[in-house]
Amino acid sequence: MTRFSNGMKRSLAVALAGISMFSVTAASAAQITVWCWDPNFNGATMEEAFSRYQAAHPDATIDIQVFDKAAMEQKLQAQLASGTTEGLPDIVLVEDYRAQKYLLSFPGAFEPLTDKIDYSAFAPYKVEVSTVDGQTYSMPFDSGVTGLFYRADKLEEAGYSAADLENITWDQLIEIGKAVKEKTGDTLLPIDPNASDLFRIMMQSAGTWYFDASGNVTIADNPAFKSTIETYQRLLTAGITKPVAGWTEYTGSFTSGDTLATPTGVWMTATIKANPDQSGMWAVAPVPRLGDVETSVNASNLGGSSWYVLSSAPEKDTAIDFLATIWGQDVDFYQKILVNQGALGSLLAARDGEAYQASDEFFGGTPVWQNFSAWLAEIPPVNYGIFTEEADSAVVAQIPAITGGGNVDEIIAQIDAQVRQQTQ
Amino acid sequence: MPALVLLGIFMIYPIIWSLWMSFQVGRGMQFSFGGLTNIIRLTQDPIFIRALTNTLIFLAVQVPIMLVLALLFANALNNPNIWGRGIFRTAIFLPCVTSLVAYSVTFKSMFASDGVINQMLLGLHVISSPIPWLADPFWAKVVVISAITWRWTGYNMIFYLAAMQNIDKSIYEAAKIDGVPAWARFWYITVPMLKPVILFTAVISTIGTLQLFDEPNLLTSGGPSDSTLTLSMYIYNLSFRFMPSFGYAATVSYVIVVLVAILSFLQFLAARDRRA
Repeated sequence: MTRFSNGMKRSLAVALAGISMFSVTAASAAQITVWCWDPNFNGATMEEAFSRYQAAHPDATIDIQVFDKAAMEQKLQAQLASGTTEGLPDIVLVEDYRAQKYLLSFPGAFEPLTDKIDYSAFAPYKVEVSTVDGQTYSMPFDSGVTGLFYRADKLEEAGYSAADLENITWDQLIEIGKAVKEKTGDTLLPIDPNASDLFRIMMQSAGTWYFDASGNVTIADNPAFKSTIETYQRLLTAGITKPVAGWTEYTGSFTSGDTLATPTGVWMTATIKANPDQSGMWAVAPVPRLGDVETSVNASNLGGSSWYVLSSAPEKDTAIDFLATIWGQDVDFYQKILVNQGALGSLLAARDGEAYQASDEFFGGTPVWQNFSAWLAEIPPVNYGIFTEEADSAVVAQIPAITGGGNVDEIIAQIDAQVRQQTQ
Repeated sequence: MPALVLLGIFMIYPIIWSLWMSFQVGRGMQFSFGGLTNIIRLTQDPIFIRALTNTLIFLAVQVPIMLVLALLFANALNNPNIWGRGIFRTAIFLPCVTSLVAYSVTFKSMFASDGVINQMLLGLHVISSPIPWLADPFWAKVVVISAITWRWTGYNMIFYLAAMQNIDKSIYEAAKIDGVPAWARFWYITVPMLKPVILFTAVISTIGTLQLFDEPNLLTSGGPSDSTLTLSMYIYNLSFRFMPSFGYAATVSYVIVVLVAILSFLQFLAARDRRA
């Protein structure tokens, strides 16, 4: 009995000591909790940002929790839906395509930062995706500015120089692909028939999306959308693509030399450069444009994400101050993450920094970052709306019909019907 | 009494609440009572129809293949004269205790376009160019069906084996003396004696297939072009990938409940009729 009560006393004492210690730390230091995916990219840049903040605020600490992207999104959505705010982080990374969906379906969950951050310093399309009713909610982060990554050595074998890929249309690229196939036998592009990346790139290059600025479906009677589908059909029936399933096969196909090029976001740089033995063999051209759409430019976007502060965050003020001082204006910081992580932020002033001027031997000594940031400024802003996932799945459902040479008007009618049905 | 309270909190309350949910419409956390709106939406929803069709195809193709295979394996391994039958039994049973993710990743790499399956078929000159297993709507279904069959055949075999051990040996001896051939002994003695167990495995396999989620999610993510999308995956998409539509997701869940109830009832009916 005595032993028991002694034990009880001891554990009570330990518990009390623990509580008092905890309250001491809680009183003196603010710990910011962050949720994100990809430890080498998002996690590492956040860590770098915070180490800069900590230099001026030695008391602050950070807890970066890295998840699988889909798992994190599910966790966030389930948590927001449950209605309890306990367990939510202070800062969360949200992909741009999903931003509007979260902001509109969980009103009040995210903190508006309109008065706290100077948004005129950022790429306009990044600001637009996180604005609802005149309030902007995000700290714009990585850009999804696209480029056409290609194996310069192999294309040269077929007689093409960098100038031949400058500001071309998709149809010109198809011709190049056919010629390369004929001369070297190589396949130009890997295509994942379950992904809508190419549609997204093509549509945004023309300043159009599945929805207009006020969220209405703009699929039928949209010449740019029709051109997207037709171009995709020509691309897929030209015999210059290789079907791949999933991310690993996709990235594996061009890093192994099985395919020669891919149009994708700047964030792919890290994956491509992970093969140092291919240094000097790669180059980046501007992404092709839709030939028959006047508004289409040789610049587009794919993916990209931004940081959001939760309204319920216990360390809300510290979190906002941290984002505004480092992510909002530290030009040096952006140079560092560009060099270390290949992260192309959306702070426009950062483009004048040193790292952005440097050339890269991996890409044949060309100033890739400067090019990317020049394209970044040209990306036409569009409204991703709240139903991009639904529209994507409607398009993906029609891919067999598209690649099978089906009638484009009928296909568009089907997509339109499905999107309208899903978004009612 | 505490058990009843727990049952009430964790079983009955969620069931009633989800039924109420299935009549709600709205986005995210803002919903309102919608009457029959969700049911009407169900009938006009092409993705739902596709998911339902896929699920029923999986059910109609995979369950019979798996149960027949399990029965044949069980019959073969029930023969005491087979060498190393313990090893075979374990080998066939092992897949269903394997880590789901590990086996999905293995299948995915095996069926990759430059994976071992294609290389083998190319080496044997069965095919002239690699089959895009996971990028083609038809072959993706084949891969998912093979994966589930590989995983669950051994599980069903164990039920059959256990039931076969309970059949009186003297019945077989009598049949043998009367000159009944092996296939007839299997068909006219073993199968009828196993009927209750076959019914049981058919019902649980039906329920399992109607709830199919893991394999298509990990192997193909429902694609290509929704060709392996199942009802469970659609529910997941409605709740976590698309604009959250919890009410409609609940309605689709109740479709599975109703299907399970109807199919199980039909299977019981069929089993009873044959006995009469």
